[in-house]
Amino acid sequence: MSLSAEKNEPCQTCEFQENLKILREIYFFSEIPIESLKVFAYLCTREKFREGDYLFTQDDDDGQAFYIISGSADLIYSRDGVDQIIRSYEPGIFFGGLTLLGNTRRLFSMRATTEMICLILSRDKFSRAMEQFPALMPGMFQSIVDGIRQWEEQFLADRSEGCVSCQKKIGVSLL
Amino acid sequence: MKKSSIPIVKQPLSSWVLGENLKLQIILVLIIAITVFARVIPLEMQKRIINEAINLRKMDLLFLYCGIYLVAVLLASGLKYVITILQTLISERVLANMRKGLFEHLITLPLSFYRKAQPGMVVSALVTELTSAGAYVGQAISTPIINILTLVTFAGYLVFQNWLLAVISFAIYPIIIFLIPMLQKRANLYNKKRVDNTRILSSRIGEAITGIHEIQGNGTFRVENNRFGKIVDEMLRIRIIWTLYKQGVKVGNNFFVNLGPFIIFILGGYLAMNGQLELGAMVAFLSAQEKLYDPWKELIDFYQVYMDASVSYKRTMEYFDMPVEFLLEDHSRPIYDLDGSIEVKDLSFVTDSGIQLLENISLSLKPGETLALVGFSGSGKSTLALCIGQLYKYTDGHIYIGEKEVAEMTKQDMVNNMGFVSQSPFIFSGTIEENLLYSVSALQDLKGDILLTSLDDKIAVLHQTGIFLDVLRFGLNTILSRESHADLTEQLIRVRENFKREYGQKLADYFEFFDEERFLYHASVADNLFLGSANTPDFAESGLIHNPYFLEFLSQAELARPLISLGAELIKQTVDILGSLSPDAIFFEQSPITLEEWDDARRIADQLKRTRLNQMHKNDQDYLLRLALRFKPGSHKLVSLPPILERLILDARSLFREKIALDHPNAFSFYKISEYIYTQTILNNILFGQVTTSNPKALDLINQSIIQLIIEEDFLETIVEIGMQFDVGSKGDRLSGGQRQKLAIARSFLKAPRLMIMDEATSALDNKSQTRIQNLIDTRWKGKSTIISVVHRLDIIKNYDKVAVMKAGKIIELGSYDELIARKGVLYELVGGKK
Repeated sequence: MSLSAEKNEPCQTCEFQENLKILREIYFFSEIPIESLKVFAYLCTREKFREGDYLFTQDDDDGQAFYIISGSADLIYSRDGVDQIIRSYEPGIFFGGLTLLGNTRRLFSMRATTEMICLILSRDKFSRAMEQFPALMPGMFQSIVDGIRQWEEQFLADRSEGCVSCQKKIGVSLL
Repeated sequence: MKKSSIPIVKQPLSSWVLGENLKLQIILVLIIAITVFARVIPLEMQKRIINEAINLRKMDLLFLYCGIYLVAVLLASGLKYVITILQTLISERVLANMRKGLFEHLITLPLSFYRKAQPGMVVSALVTELTSAGAYVGQAISTPIINILTLVTFAGYLVFQNWLLAVISFAIYPIIIFLIPMLQKRANLYNKKRVDNTRILSSRIGEAITGIHEIQGNGTFRVENNRFGKIVDEMLRIRIIWTLYKQGVKVGNNFFVNLGPFIIFILGGYLAMNGQLELGAMVAFLSAQEKLYDPWKELIDFYQVYMDASVSYKRTMEYFDMPVEFLLEDHSRPIYDLDGSIEVKDLSFVTDSGIQLLENISLSLKPGETLALVGFSGSGKSTLALCIGQLYKYTDGHIYIGEKEVAEMTKQDMVNNMGFVSQSPFIFSGTIEENLLYSVSALQDLKGDILLTSLDDKIAVLHQTGIFLDVLRFGLNTILSRESHADLTEQLIRVRENFKREYGQKLADYFEFFDEERFLYHASVADNLFLGSANTPDFAESGLIHNPYFLEFLSQAELARPLISLGAELIKQTVDILGSLSPDAIFFEQSPITLEEWDDARRIADQLKRTRLNQMHKNDQDYLLRLALRFKPGSHKLVSLPPILERLILDARSLFREKIALDHPNAFSFYKISEYIYTQTILNNILFGQVTTSNPKALDLINQSIIQLIIEEDFLETIVEIGMQFDVGSKGDRLSGGQRQKLAIARSFLKAPRLMIMDEATSALDNKSQTRIQNLIDTRWKGKSTIISVVHRLDIIKNYDKVAVMKAGKIIELGSYDELIARKGVLYELVGGKK
């Protein structure tokens, strides 16, 4: 059911407009001009997850990027059959941008801890839309490069100096 | 088709002219001879009508000559038509044979050719380039003969009448033939200049627009105007000269043609007055003069056709003139049945450009052994697999399959012994079943019908490769027709009841029931209005907007205007977002507008900007209404359904039921839990509702529940059989990457070959599917088929008999997994690096 109908607002294009507003605030789409961004907003779908549902599972290539509109989820890493919760994701977080760019298997699982509504864009739709705007690709790469750099910058700033194993793994932005 | 010993790319254009068309060409020449004779008769009749009938006032002669004239004209026209038909027949037959022959040749060309060839070039070669060659062949004999013969006959006739006048009136044509092409050449030259200049002009405009912020920021309006002005001035000059030459050709042509009668009048008149020429002969000259122009022109045009055809034919054939690397078949011996052992000795592969991709590779496999090829990208593992599979021709060393050298085997030998799954498998348009049988069908061609694949075999490979559930889902999403599957409906109703009892509550979040009191957000507005299926075509979706009863009902329910407005809003929003894109099916999945309607939709959106809704053309208003009726608020999210309209539709639903029960009681079957709905998919019938989620995991859950129930009713196979008729779309684009790869593996498994080559065949699969296929290789195929697998993930290679680690075109380690790990060499490092 569309959100606008639930809220009883007399707005004929609410969900689309809301999607567009969300995409405009996501770093991954920051280099895409508004006219093209409309296409991506149009191609997004909203999906409801029940508590305990998996958004994606480790080792699968589901090819989707998510934005949490409501609810929360846990990021889980399984090793030798043991699940380890890495962290929680709250509304307003976008993840899975890299998945849109090429086939890749998930290194983690994501499980809803409450009922959730997510905005989802699939790789197939994303790449077909990108085919229409080849000129946007460099900007897209720039967003990714910026994203990875900022991530590592933050990691370097946050890590404790004594963490030896962290020291060895530093350098993802050198990829 | 004609089988020739010379490859098609070496056949000269002239070889197509006779060949199997010899008979037709001879008939053509005979008809031409009669036609030319029929063309001269009117000239003679004209002369006699004037000289004998009119001059001597003999009515009977007038009728006789006019009669002969008429018969000759009818005969000439009729025969001309027959000539055209025969020419077309020859042209089209030759074109079809050229296309078949060239296609047959080009799909055997080495893969290396296609790495460089542009697909567009290959398409245009087959589609457009050859048409001019075909057209030429149709005319090659007939056109020159008919025109030269006509000219000679006319000339002979005129010379016989008066040689002086004949020579002078003929003298004009050579002038036309030489002068006009000269002018034409100049016109062409300037046309080329015009095209070049247009390109410069366009790029200048493009630059100015892209850099508009610089122009405005720097205030360089004058600089830009000057630059642009210069190009436009040059354009002006070129276009004027071009037009002068172009028009010169036309005027020159007209002038010379009109000059003919002038000469005849002045010279012929003079001769007639002096009694050296009969009046009738002069009239014959006049009309011959007019008729001479056509054969000249046709000859010149024919020359042009010949030039075009020979150039494009030669270019096309040269483009594809490349030796085929492997023979397709060898009739001198039976097709090999090999045991699947592999022996590779000192194998090297160097590309045409001199890059060494493989160097001194040696390995051997016993029949039924499995080999994993691992290494970094670019290490040559795929190349090695492709060489063994006869897709590349190695440049040095040997590969033996069952002691036969691969380079010397035919494609048929390979078809008989090998299965191949490529890295990015290609699925062709057609059904799942057609694609499943794709590999096996080549084998059936070799061995006849003895190998018919049973339904059980097909279902078994669908299971093994893990695409079974997908196919089942396609089956569940099929709409059954009353005619073909009426026997299933009773069972489906039982499944519906069981589903409601066992899973109804548990899965209620994922679908909405067909409930008379509730609006269905994932069903169309039309479905919401009726909640039933039409029994007559007037009430079917396509007929609704032309059904006066329905339209009147809409007005009564106060829905007509709001629905048309909804349609208008849908069009406006969709065109606003997608208007500038080149249409692609995926953009229309979330819209009631279809790809085919896109041009119309854009036109209407454009009109809506300028015209009031009620002033729009009736057809366009109808289309807007149709869109609104197709609108599904749950999935077409560009526009949301205003709550007031939702209430109106619900009110209309009950109003419609009352009304139609009185007026047309049999027109509809309303959805009842006890009846099968023929306008809905099997799935919706079982759910007695609509799925509202697109979450794959939720869909899986629903499917799993349904499968249980279908198994209980024992018709799972029937649904899968229906699912196998699913149309995969062009290039299989209605399937996901994983589904395509599974289908490609399934089609090789179905063939059960003695040698199976899998080039990263499971790379697009999820973990579970990959493990499933690996298990299958370990249990089902090991010992029966020799398997060479190019592997990217190292966690699936433990059970292979041998592992070859490759680097820079060489095998640097070869042995069993345990041996190599114990050796603590490169594989050990690679596996360690993975952890």
